[in-house]
Amino acid sequence: MQSARRLLCLWCMLGFLAPMTVLAADDEEFDAVHHTADGYYLDFSPIGKIELPRIFIIRSEVTGYSLRTYWTTRSALRSGEMHASLHSEEVEEDTHAEAEPDTEALIASGDHLGATLVPNDGEVVLDLSMTRHLMFALLASGILLTIFLQLAGKYKRGIGRTSAPQGLFQNLFETLVIFVRDDIAIPNLGRDKYQRYLPYLLTAFFFILTCNLLGLVPYGATATSNLNITAVLAAFTFVLTQVNGSRDHWRHVFWPPGMPVLVKFLLIPTEIMGLFIKPIALAIRLFANLTAGHLVILSLIGMIFTFTQLFGEAVGYGVVPISLGFTLFVMCLEILIAFIQAYIFTILSALFIGMAIADHSHSEAH
Amino acid sequence: MLLAADLLSANVGLIVWWGLVFLALLLLLRRYAWGPITSALTEREETIASSLNRAEAALEESKRLQESNAQARRENELQAQRLLREAREEAQQLREREVLRTREEISALRNQAQEDIARDKEKALQALRSEVADLAILAAEKVLQENLDGSRQRVLVDRFIDDLSAQRHNQFPYEA
Repeated sequence: MQSARRLLCLWCMLGFLAPMTVLAADDEEFDAVHHTADGYYLDFSPIGKIELPRIFIIRSEVTGYSLRTYWTTRSALRSGEMHASLHSEEVEEDTHAEAEPDTEALIASGDHLGATLVPNDGEVVLDLSMTRHLMFALLASGILLTIFLQLAGKYKRGIGRTSAPQGLFQNLFETLVIFVRDDIAIPNLGRDKYQRYLPYLLTAFFFILTCNLLGLVPYGATATSNLNITAVLAAFTFVLTQVNGSRDHWRHVFWPPGMPVLVKFLLIPTEIMGLFIKPIALAIRLFANLTAGHLVILSLIGMIFTFTQLFGEAVGYGVVPISLGFTLFVMCLEILIAFIQAYIFTILSALFIGMAIADHSHSEAH
Repeated sequence: MLLAADLLSANVGLIVWWGLVFLALLLLLRRYAWGPITSALTEREETIASSLNRAEAALEESKRLQESNAQARRENELQAQRLLREAREEAQQLREREVLRTREEISALRNQAQEDIARDKEKALQALRSEVADLAILAAEKVLQENLDGSRQRVLVDRFIDDLSAQRHNQFPYEA
Protein backbone atom coordinates (compact mmCIF):
# COMPACT_ATOMS: atom_id res chain seq x y z
CA MET A 1 0.00 0.00 0.00
CA GLN A 2 2.75 2.39 1.05
CA SER A 3 4.90 1.54 -1.94
CA ALA A 4 1.93 2.17 -4.22
CA ARG A 5 1.51 5.64 -2.69
CA ARG A 6 5.18 6.35 -3.15
CA LEU A 7 4.97 5.35 -6.79
CA LEU A 8 2.02 7.72 -7.23
CA CYS A 9 4.00 10.58 -5.67
CA LEU A 10 6.90 9.88 -8.00
CA TRP A 11 4.52 9.85 -10.94
CA CYS A 12 3.13 13.28 -9.96
CA MET A 13 6.61 14.73 -9.51
CA LEU A 14 7.60 13.53 -12.95
CA GLY A 15 4.42 15.12 -14.26
CA PHE A 16 5.45 18.49 -12.87
CA LEU A 17 8.81 18.28 -14.56
CA ALA A 18 7.29 17.42 -17.88
CA PRO A 19 5.75 20.73 -19.12
CA MET A 20 9.14 22.40 -19.09
CA THR A 21 10.55 19.85 -21.52
CA VAL A 22 7.49 20.02 -23.72
CA LEU A 23 7.76 23.81 -23.86
CA ALA A 24 11.40 23.52 -24.82
CA ALA A 25 10.32 21.46 -27.80
CA ASP A 26 8.44 24.34 -29.32
CA ASP A 27 11.27 26.46 -30.62
CA GLU A 28 14.21 24.04 -30.83
CA GLU A 29 14.60 20.81 -32.66
CA PHE A 30 15.68 18.03 -30.37
CA ASP A 31 18.82 16.17 -31.42
CA ALA A 32 20.08 13.41 -29.13
CA VAL A 33 23.31 12.88 -31.02
CA HIS A 34 24.12 16.56 -30.93
CA HIS A 35 23.72 16.61 -27.14
CA THR A 36 25.96 13.59 -26.70
CA ALA A 37 28.65 14.80 -29.07
CA ASP A 38 31.52 17.10 -28.22
CA GLY A 39 31.37 20.84 -28.84
CA TYR A 40 33.25 24.09 -28.44
CA TYR A 41 30.98 25.36 -25.65
CA LEU A 42 29.53 24.44 -22.27
CA ASP A 43 25.80 23.98 -22.55
CA PHE A 44 23.82 25.54 -19.70
CA SER A 45 20.63 25.99 -21.71
CA PRO A 46 18.10 27.36 -21.17
CA ILE A 47 20.32 29.77 -19.16
CA GLY A 48 22.90 30.06 -21.89
CA LYS A 49 26.02 28.69 -23.47
CA ILE A 50 29.61 29.43 -22.53
CA GLU A 51 31.91 29.43 -25.51
CA LEU A 52 35.34 27.93 -24.99
CA PRO A 53 38.69 29.31 -26.20
CA ARG A 54 39.77 28.46 -29.72
CA ILE A 55 43.43 27.77 -30.37
CA PHE A 56 44.79 27.07 -33.83
CA ILE A 57 48.18 26.36 -35.28
CA ILE A 58 47.96 27.81 -38.78
CA ARG A 59 50.23 27.59 -41.76
CA SER A 60 49.96 30.35 -44.28
CA GLU A 61 51.99 31.02 -47.37
CA VAL A 62 52.73 34.54 -46.23
CA THR A 63 53.63 34.23 -42.54
CA GLY A 64 54.47 30.54 -42.22
CA TYR A 65 53.43 28.71 -39.03
CA SER A 66 51.63 30.77 -36.42
CA LEU A 67 49.60 30.23 -33.27
CA ARG A 68 46.22 31.97 -33.08
CA THR A 69 44.19 32.09 -29.90
CA TYR A 70 40.68 33.50 -29.38
CA TRP A 71 38.64 33.48 -26.18
CA THR A 72 35.51 32.39 -28.02
CA THR A 73 34.37 31.08 -31.37
CA ARG A 74 32.45 34.33 -31.70
CA SER A 75 35.57 36.45 -31.33
CA ALA A 76 37.46 34.22 -33.75
CA LEU A 77 34.83 34.89 -36.38
CA ARG A 78 34.60 38.61 -35.59
CA SER A 79 38.39 39.00 -35.77
CA GLY A 80 38.06 38.70 -39.50
CA GLU A 81 40.95 36.22 -39.61
CA MET A 82 38.68 33.16 -39.76
CA HIS A 83 35.46 32.34 -41.53
CA ALA A 84 32.87 29.69 -40.88
CA SER A 85 32.30 26.69 -43.02
CA LEU A 86 29.24 24.67 -42.03
CA HIS A 87 29.34 20.89 -41.86
CA SER A 88 26.56 19.88 -44.17
CA GLU A 89 27.00 19.91 -47.92
CA GLU A 90 24.06 22.14 -48.84
CA VAL A 91 25.03 24.88 -46.42
CA GLU A 92 28.54 24.83 -47.78
CA GLU A 93 27.15 25.25 -51.27
CA ASP A 94 25.10 28.15 -49.97
CA THR A 95 28.18 29.83 -48.53
CA HIS A 96 29.97 29.41 -51.80
CA ALA A 97 27.02 30.85 -53.57
CA GLU A 98 26.80 33.81 -51.26
CA ALA A 99 30.60 34.12 -51.38
CA GLU A 100 30.67 36.16 -48.15
CA PRO A 101 28.56 34.57 -45.33
CA ASP A 102 26.98 36.94 -42.89
CA THR A 103 29.01 36.41 -39.72
CA GLU A 104 26.68 38.27 -37.38
CA ALA A 105 23.62 36.42 -38.65
CA LEU A 106 25.40 33.13 -38.13
CA ILE A 107 26.33 34.08 -34.57
CA ALA A 108 22.79 35.23 -33.87
CA SER A 109 21.38 31.90 -35.03
CA GLY A 110 23.85 30.02 -32.82
CA ASP A 111 24.99 27.83 -35.71
CA HIS A 112 28.50 29.24 -35.58
CA LEU A 113 29.27 26.76 -32.78
CA GLY A 114 28.72 23.85 -35.12
CA ALA A 115 30.70 25.34 -37.95
CA THR A 116 34.24 24.56 -38.93
CA LEU A 117 36.51 27.60 -38.70
CA VAL A 118 38.74 28.15 -41.70
CA PRO A 119 41.45 30.79 -41.73
CA ASN A 120 41.21 33.37 -44.47
CA ASP A 121 44.90 33.20 -45.27
CA GLY A 122 46.05 29.62 -45.05
CA GLU A 123 45.08 26.29 -43.47
CA VAL A 124 44.70 24.89 -39.98
CA VAL A 125 47.52 22.50 -39.17
CA LEU A 126 46.29 21.63 -35.69
CA ASP A 127 43.08 22.67 -33.97
CA LEU A 128 43.94 22.81 -30.28
CA SER A 129 40.61 24.37 -29.29
CA MET A 130 39.15 23.61 -25.91
CA THR A 131 36.09 21.37 -26.09
CA ARG A 132 33.33 20.50 -23.70
CA HIS A 133 34.64 16.99 -23.16
CA LEU A 134 38.16 18.27 -22.57
CA MET A 135 36.78 20.69 -19.96
CA PHE A 136 34.97 17.87 -18.21
CA ALA A 137 38.05 15.67 -18.40
CA LEU A 138 40.01 18.52 -16.82
CA LEU A 139 37.30 18.93 -14.20
CA ALA A 140 37.51 15.20 -13.45
CA SER A 141 41.32 15.49 -13.20
CA GLY A 142 40.90 18.40 -10.80
CA ILE A 143 38.46 16.42 -8.70
CA LEU A 144 40.87 13.46 -8.63
CA LEU A 145 43.78 15.68 -7.59
CA THR A 146 41.70 17.35 -4.87
CA ILE A 147 40.41 14.10 -3.45
CA PHE A 148 43.56 12.06 -3.57
CA LEU A 149 46.08 14.71 -2.54
CA GLN A 150 43.88 15.33 0.48
CA LEU A 151 43.63 11.59 1.11
CA ALA A 152 47.40 11.22 0.76
CA GLY A 153 47.80 14.08 3.28
CA LYS A 154 45.75 12.12 5.78
CA TYR A 155 47.96 9.07 5.36
CA LYS A 156 51.08 11.19 5.62
CA ARG A 157 49.82 12.53 8.95
CA GLY A 158 49.65 8.94 10.15
CA ILE A 159 45.89 8.47 10.01
CA GLY A 160 45.45 5.12 8.31
CA ARG A 161 49.18 4.43 8.43
CA THR A 162 49.55 3.57 12.07
CA SER A 163 45.90 3.88 13.10
CA ALA A 164 42.59 2.87 11.58
CA PRO A 165 41.26 5.09 8.77
CA GLN A 166 38.88 7.76 9.99
CA GLY A 167 35.70 9.10 8.54
CA LEU A 168 33.52 8.39 5.54
CA PHE A 169 35.85 10.14 3.10
CA GLN A 170 38.93 8.09 3.92
CA ASN A 171 37.09 4.80 4.36
CA LEU A 172 35.19 5.18 1.10
CA PHE A 173 38.19 5.91 -1.07
CA GLU A 174 40.43 3.49 0.75
CA THR A 175 37.93 0.73 0.00
CA LEU A 176 38.06 1.60 -3.70
CA VAL A 177 41.87 1.86 -3.73
CA ILE A 178 42.17 -1.52 -2.02
CA PHE A 179 39.60 -2.96 -4.41
CA VAL A 180 41.68 -1.86 -7.40
CA ARG A 181 44.84 -3.19 -5.79
CA ASP A 182 43.56 -6.52 -4.48
CA ASP A 183 40.91 -7.43 -7.04
CA ILE A 184 42.30 -5.88 -10.22
CA ALA A 185 46.08 -5.37 -10.00
CA ILE A 186 47.34 -8.28 -7.92
CA PRO A 187 45.33 -11.14 -9.52
CA ASN A 188 46.30 -10.06 -13.05
CA LEU A 189 49.82 -8.75 -12.60
CA GLY A 190 51.16 -10.93 -9.83
CA ARG A 191 52.12 -10.00 -6.30
CA ASP A 192 55.72 -9.06 -7.09
CA LYS A 193 55.10 -6.98 -10.23
CA TYR A 194 51.84 -5.14 -9.59
CA GLN A 195 53.37 -2.12 -7.83
CA ARG A 196 54.82 -0.71 -11.04
CA TYR A 197 51.43 -0.60 -12.77
CA LEU A 198 49.16 0.15 -9.83
CA PRO A 199 49.41 3.97 -10.19
CA TYR A 200 48.23 3.78 -13.80
CA LEU A 201 45.38 1.41 -12.98
CA LEU A 202 44.24 3.58 -10.06
CA THR A 203 44.40 6.75 -12.16
CA ALA A 204 42.50 5.16 -15.04
CA PHE A 205 39.89 3.64 -12.74
CA PHE A 206 39.15 6.80 -10.80
CA PHE A 207 39.33 9.05 -13.86
CA ILE A 208 36.88 6.93 -15.82
CA LEU A 209 34.59 6.58 -12.82
CA THR A 210 34.60 10.33 -12.17
CA CYS A 211 33.95 11.16 -15.82
CA ASN A 212 31.13 8.63 -16.02
CA LEU A 213 29.48 10.06 -12.92
CA LEU A 214 29.99 13.66 -14.10
CA GLY A 215 27.92 12.73 -17.14
CA LEU A 216 24.95 12.02 -14.88
CA VAL A 217 25.09 15.42 -13.19
CA PRO A 218 22.77 18.11 -14.59
CA TYR A 219 24.56 20.15 -17.27
CA GLY A 220 27.40 17.66 -17.12
CA ALA A 221 29.01 16.00 -20.09
CA THR A 222 30.68 12.62 -20.26
CA ALA A 223 34.28 12.89 -21.33
CA THR A 224 34.47 9.09 -21.56
CA SER A 225 31.76 9.15 -24.24
CA ASN A 226 34.33 10.78 -26.51
CA LEU A 227 36.26 8.32 -28.62
CA ASN A 228 39.34 10.59 -28.68
CA ILE A 229 39.62 10.53 -24.91
CA THR A 230 39.02 6.80 -24.56
CA ALA A 231 41.55 6.28 -27.35
CA VAL A 232 44.18 8.18 -25.35
CA LEU A 233 43.44 6.05 -22.30
CA ALA A 234 43.67 2.88 -24.37
CA ALA A 235 46.92 4.17 -25.89
CA PHE A 236 48.41 4.41 -22.40
CA THR A 237 47.47 0.77 -21.79
CA PHE A 238 48.92 -0.15 -25.18
CA VAL A 239 52.22 1.62 -24.50
CA LEU A 240 52.52 0.12 -21.02
CA THR A 241 51.79 -3.32 -22.45
CA GLN A 242 54.32 -3.15 -25.28
CA VAL A 243 57.10 -1.33 -23.41
CA ASN A 244 57.05 -3.84 -20.59
CA GLY A 245 56.43 -6.91 -22.73
CA SER A 246 58.60 -9.85 -21.74
CA ARG A 247 60.69 -11.92 -24.15
CA ASP A 248 57.99 -14.57 -24.04
CA HIS A 249 55.40 -12.00 -25.07
CA TRP A 250 57.32 -11.06 -28.22
CA ARG A 251 58.22 -14.66 -28.98
CA HIS A 252 54.51 -15.52 -28.90
CA VAL A 253 53.80 -12.70 -31.32
CA PHE A 254 56.60 -13.25 -33.83
CA TRP A 255 57.30 -16.98 -33.57
CA PRO A 256 54.47 -18.75 -31.72
CA PRO A 257 55.94 -21.90 -30.16
CA GLY A 258 54.55 -25.37 -30.54
CA MET A 259 53.05 -24.82 -34.00
CA PRO A 260 53.89 -26.13 -37.49
CA VAL A 261 55.79 -23.53 -39.51
CA LEU A 262 52.91 -22.92 -41.91
CA VAL A 263 50.52 -22.24 -39.06
CA LYS A 264 53.10 -19.88 -37.59
CA PHE A 265 52.95 -17.76 -40.73
CA LEU A 266 49.19 -17.66 -40.39
CA LEU A 267 49.38 -16.78 -36.73
CA ILE A 268 51.98 -14.01 -36.86
CA PRO A 269 49.79 -11.45 -38.68
CA THR A 270 46.89 -12.40 -36.42
CA GLU A 271 49.02 -11.87 -33.33
CA ILE A 272 50.29 -8.52 -34.60
CA MET A 273 46.73 -7.43 -35.32
CA GLY A 274 45.78 -8.64 -31.86
CA LEU A 275 48.27 -6.25 -30.28
CA PHE A 276 46.34 -3.33 -31.72
CA ILE A 277 42.84 -4.73 -31.57
CA LYS A 278 43.00 -5.16 -27.81
CA PRO A 279 43.41 -1.44 -26.99
CA ILE A 280 41.07 -0.45 -29.84
CA ALA A 281 38.39 -2.68 -28.35
CA LEU A 282 39.13 -1.12 -24.97
CA ALA A 283 38.58 2.39 -26.34
CA ILE A 284 35.46 1.53 -28.32
CA ARG A 285 33.88 -0.44 -25.47
CA LEU A 286 34.13 2.45 -23.05
CA PHE A 287 33.05 5.03 -25.61
CA ALA A 288 30.14 2.95 -26.88
CA ASN A 289 28.81 2.06 -23.45
CA LEU A 290 28.77 5.62 -22.22
CA THR A 291 27.45 7.05 -25.47
CA ALA A 292 24.73 4.42 -25.72
CA GLY A 293 23.52 5.14 -22.19
CA HIS A 294 23.18 8.82 -22.94
CA LEU A 295 21.57 8.23 -26.29
CA VAL A 296 19.00 5.95 -24.67
CA ILE A 297 18.20 8.57 -22.03
CA LEU A 298 17.91 11.33 -24.60
CA SER A 299 15.83 9.13 -26.89
CA LEU A 300 13.44 8.34 -24.06
CA ILE A 301 13.04 12.04 -23.38
CA GLY A 302 12.76 12.58 -27.13
CA MET A 303 9.69 10.32 -27.12
CA ILE A 304 7.81 13.23 -25.52
CA PHE A 305 8.67 15.50 -28.42
CA THR A 306 7.95 12.88 -31.04
CA PHE A 307 4.56 12.03 -29.60
CA THR A 308 3.66 15.71 -29.23
CA GLN A 309 4.48 16.35 -32.88
CA LEU A 310 2.73 13.23 -34.14
CA PHE A 311 -0.42 13.10 -32.01
CA GLY A 312 -0.76 16.51 -30.42
CA GLU A 313 -0.03 17.97 -27.03
CA ALA A 314 -2.47 15.79 -25.02
CA VAL A 315 -0.80 12.57 -26.05
CA GLY A 316 2.57 14.24 -25.43
CA TYR A 317 1.60 14.95 -21.82
CA GLY A 318 0.34 11.38 -21.46
CA VAL A 319 3.68 10.02 -22.59
CA VAL A 320 5.62 12.18 -20.10
CA PRO A 321 5.30 9.93 -17.02
CA ILE A 322 6.10 6.79 -19.00
CA SER A 323 9.06 8.43 -20.68
CA LEU A 324 10.48 9.93 -17.47
CA GLY A 325 9.89 6.71 -15.55
CA PHE A 326 11.99 4.84 -18.07
CA THR A 327 14.55 7.65 -18.02
CA LEU A 328 14.84 7.31 -14.25
CA PHE A 329 15.35 3.59 -14.64
CA VAL A 330 18.05 4.04 -17.29
CA MET A 331 19.69 6.73 -15.12
CA CYS A 332 19.97 4.20 -12.28
CA LEU A 333 21.38 1.74 -14.79
CA GLU A 334 23.87 4.42 -15.85
CA ILE A 335 25.14 4.74 -12.29
CA LEU A 336 25.75 1.01 -12.32
CA ILE A 337 27.39 1.24 -15.74
CA ALA A 338 29.62 4.09 -14.54
CA PHE A 339 31.18 1.70 -12.03
CA ILE A 340 31.11 -1.38 -14.25
CA GLN A 341 32.82 0.32 -17.18
CA ALA A 342 35.52 1.83 -14.98
CA TYR A 343 36.07 -1.65 -13.57
CA ILE A 344 36.10 -3.34 -16.97
CA PHE A 345 38.54 -0.87 -18.53
CA THR A 346 40.88 -1.22 -15.58
CA ILE A 347 40.71 -4.99 -15.25
CA LEU A 348 41.21 -5.51 -19.00
CA SER A 349 44.19 -3.13 -18.94
CA ALA A 350 45.62 -5.10 -16.04
CA LEU A 351 44.92 -8.35 -17.88
CA PHE A 352 46.63 -7.20 -21.10
CA ILE A 353 49.65 -5.87 -19.22
CA GLY A 354 49.73 -9.01 -17.09
CA MET A 355 49.69 -11.25 -20.17
CA ALA A 356 52.52 -9.27 -21.74
CA ILE A 357 54.80 -9.18 -18.70
CA ALA A 358 54.31 -12.80 -17.68
CA ASP A 359 57.35 -15.07 -17.86
CA HIS A 360 56.14 -18.49 -18.84
CA SER A 361 58.04 -21.35 -17.36
CA HIS A 362 59.29 -23.73 -20.03
CA SER A 363 57.35 -26.67 -18.67
CA GLU A 364 54.11 -24.78 -19.12
CA ALA A 365 51.95 -25.92 -21.99
CA HIS A 366 51.06 -23.27 -24.55
CA MET B 1 24.17 16.36 -39.26
CA LEU B 2 25.69 12.97 -39.72
CA LEU B 3 25.87 10.75 -36.68
CA ALA B 4 29.23 9.34 -37.64
CA ALA B 5 30.74 12.75 -38.18
CA ASP B 6 29.69 13.97 -34.76
CA LEU B 7 30.36 11.01 -32.50
CA LEU B 8 33.23 9.30 -34.22
CA SER B 9 35.17 12.22 -35.68
CA ALA B 10 38.80 12.32 -34.66
CA ASN B 11 39.95 15.49 -32.97
CA VAL B 12 43.73 15.55 -33.04
CA GLY B 13 43.88 18.67 -30.86
CA LEU B 14 41.80 16.97 -28.19
CA ILE B 15 43.99 13.89 -28.36
CA VAL B 16 47.12 16.03 -27.91
CA TRP B 17 45.64 17.99 -25.03
CA TRP B 18 44.24 14.99 -23.29
CA GLY B 19 47.40 12.94 -23.79
CA LEU B 20 49.45 15.64 -22.08
CA VAL B 21 46.91 16.26 -19.31
CA PHE B 22 46.45 12.60 -18.56
CA LEU B 23 50.20 12.03 -18.47
CA ALA B 24 50.57 14.95 -16.06
CA LEU B 25 47.67 13.68 -13.96
CA LEU B 26 49.20 10.21 -13.85
CA LEU B 27 52.64 11.49 -12.82
CA LEU B 28 51.24 13.92 -10.22
CA LEU B 29 48.97 11.34 -8.67
CA ARG B 30 51.68 8.69 -8.74
CA ARG B 31 54.16 10.96 -7.01
CA TYR B 32 51.93 12.74 -4.51
CA ALA B 33 48.90 10.50 -4.00
CA TRP B 34 49.23 6.83 -4.92
CA GLY B 35 52.74 6.56 -3.52
CA PRO B 36 51.92 7.76 0.01
CA ILE B 37 48.54 6.03 0.05
CA THR B 38 49.68 2.60 -1.08
CA SER B 39 52.82 2.70 1.05
CA ALA B 40 50.69 3.64 4.09
CA LEU B 41 48.29 0.81 3.33
CA THR B 42 51.11 -1.69 2.93
CA GLU B 43 52.72 -0.48 6.12
CA ARG B 44 49.45 -0.76 8.02
CA GLU B 45 48.78 -4.23 6.69
CA GLU B 46 52.27 -5.34 7.64
CA THR B 47 51.82 -3.87 11.12
CA ILE B 48 48.52 -5.68 11.52
CA ALA B 49 49.97 -8.93 10.23
CA SER B 50 53.00 -8.73 12.52
CA SER B 51 50.79 -7.75 15.47
CA LEU B 52 48.65 -10.79 14.83
CA ASN B 53 51.73 -12.96 14.61
CA ARG B 54 53.08 -11.52 17.85
CA ALA B 55 49.74 -12.02 19.59
CA GLU B 56 49.66 -15.59 18.32
CA ALA B 57 53.20 -16.17 19.60
CA ALA B 58 52.36 -14.57 22.96
CA LEU B 59 49.31 -16.78 23.29
CA GLU B 60 51.41 -19.80 22.46
CA GLU B 61 54.00 -18.71 25.00
CA SER B 62 51.43 -18.13 27.72
CA LYS B 63 49.90 -21.53 27.01
CA ARG B 64 53.33 -23.08 27.29
CA LEU B 65 53.98 -21.22 30.55
CA GLN B 66 50.64 -22.28 31.93
CA GLU B 67 51.41 -25.84 31.00
CA SER B 68 54.80 -25.72 32.66
CA ASN B 69 53.30 -24.06 35.74
CA ALA B 70 50.72 -26.79 36.04
CA GLN B 71 53.47 -29.35 35.60
CA ALA B 72 55.53 -27.74 38.35
CA ARG B 73 52.54 -27.58 40.65
CA ARG B 74 51.79 -31.23 40.08
CA GLU B 75 55.41 -32.10 40.81
CA ASN B 76 55.37 -29.97 43.95
CA GLU B 77 52.19 -31.63 45.14
CA LEU B 78 53.67 -35.04 44.56
CA GLN B 79 56.82 -34.08 46.43
CA ALA B 80 54.82 -32.66 49.33
CA GLN B 81 52.80 -35.86 49.51
CA ARG B 82 55.96 -37.92 49.44
CA LEU B 83 57.55 -35.81 52.20
CA LEU B 84 54.44 -36.09 54.33
CA ARG B 85 54.34 -39.83 53.87
CA GLU B 86 58.02 -40.15 54.71
CA ALA B 87 57.61 -37.97 57.83
CA ARG B 88 54.64 -40.01 58.90
CA GLU B 89 56.55 -43.24 58.41
CA GLU B 90 59.54 -41.91 60.26
CA ALA B 91 57.36 -40.79 63.14
CA GLN B 92 55.75 -44.20 63.21
CA GLN B 93 59.13 -45.91 63.26
CA LEU B 94 60.34 -43.54 65.97
CA ARG B 95 57.32 -44.24 68.11
CA GLU B 96 57.69 -47.96 67.65
CA ARG B 97 61.36 -47.80 68.58
CA GLU B 98 60.48 -45.69 71.63
CA VAL B 99 57.82 -48.13 72.72
CA LEU B 100 60.22 -51.01 72.28
CA ARG B 101 62.93 -49.27 74.24
CA THR B 102 60.50 -48.36 77.05
CA ARG B 103 59.31 -51.91 77.18
CA GLU B 104 62.90 -53.14 77.46
CA GLU B 105 63.65 -50.62 80.15
CA ILE B 106 60.59 -51.63 82.06
CA SER B 107 61.48 -55.28 81.86
CA ALA B 108 65.08 -54.51 82.85
CA LEU B 109 63.82 -52.55 85.84
CA ARG B 110 61.50 -55.34 86.77
CA ASN B 111 64.32 -57.87 86.57
CA GLN B 112 66.48 -55.60 88.70
CA ALA B 113 63.70 -55.28 91.20
CA GLN B 114 63.14 -59.01 91.29
CA GLU B 115 66.83 -59.60 91.81
CA ASP B 116 66.89 -57.03 94.61
CA ILE B 117 63.86 -58.65 96.17
CA ALA B 118 65.46 -62.06 95.95
CA ARG B 119 68.69 -60.79 97.49
CA ASP B 120 66.91 -59.03 100.33
CA LYS B 121 64.87 -62.09 100.91
CA GLU B 122 68.00 -64.22 101.06
CA LYS B 123 69.58 -61.67 103.39
CA ALA B 124 66.47 -61.67 105.53
CA LEU B 125 66.38 -65.45 105.59
CA GLN B 126 70.04 -65.49 106.54
CA ALA B 127 69.34 -63.05 109.35
CA LEU B 128 66.27 -64.99 110.36
CA ARG B 129 68.22 -68.22 110.33
CA SER B 130 70.96 -66.90 112.60
CA GLU B 131 68.26 -65.38 114.81
CA VAL B 132 66.42 -68.69 114.87
CA ALA B 133 69.69 -70.49 115.65
CA ASP B 134 70.46 -68.06 118.44
CA LEU B 135 66.95 -68.46 119.75
CA ALA B 136 67.20 -72.22 119.48
CA ILE B 137 70.52 -72.20 121.28
CA LEU B 138 69.14 -70.02 123.95
CA ALA B 139 66.17 -72.27 124.21
CA ALA B 140 68.34 -75.35 124.25
CA GLU B 141 70.64 -73.76 126.86
CA LYS B 142 67.63 -73.13 128.91
CA VAL B 143 66.61 -76.74 128.39
CA LEU B 144 69.88 -78.45 128.85
CA GLN B 145 71.34 -75.94 131.25
CA GLU B 146 75.01 -76.27 131.26
CA ASN B 147 75.34 -79.82 129.79
CA LEU B 148 77.02 -78.88 126.80
CA ASP B 149 79.62 -76.26 126.04
CA GLY B 150 78.77 -73.43 123.88
CA SER B 151 80.78 -74.16 120.80
CA ARG B 152 79.71 -77.78 120.50
CA GLN B 153 76.07 -76.81 120.73
CA ARG B 154 76.52 -74.15 118.15
CA VAL B 155 77.85 -76.57 115.57
CA LEU B 156 74.97 -78.95 116.16
CA VAL B 157 72.37 -76.25 115.77
CA ASP B 158 73.96 -74.84 112.62
CA ARG B 159 73.92 -78.29 111.03
CA PHE B 160 70.34 -78.71 111.95
CA ILE B 161 69.35 -75.38 110.49
CA ASP B 162 71.27 -76.10 107.30
CA ASP B 163 69.42 -79.32 106.92
CA LEU B 164 66.25 -77.51 107.58
CA SER B 165 66.92 -74.81 105.04
CA ALA B 166 67.96 -77.44 102.46
CA GLN B 167 64.66 -79.16 103.01
CA ARG B 168 62.75 -75.96 102.69
CA HIS B 169 64.66 -75.08 99.52
CA ASN B 170 63.55 -78.27 97.93
CA GLN B 171 60.02 -77.77 99.05
CA PHE B 172 59.61 -73.99 98.25
CA PRO B 173 62.03 -72.47 95.68
CA TYR B 174 62.46 -68.67 95.95
CA GLU B 175 61.49 -67.75 92.49
CA ALA B 176 57.85 -68.40 92.24
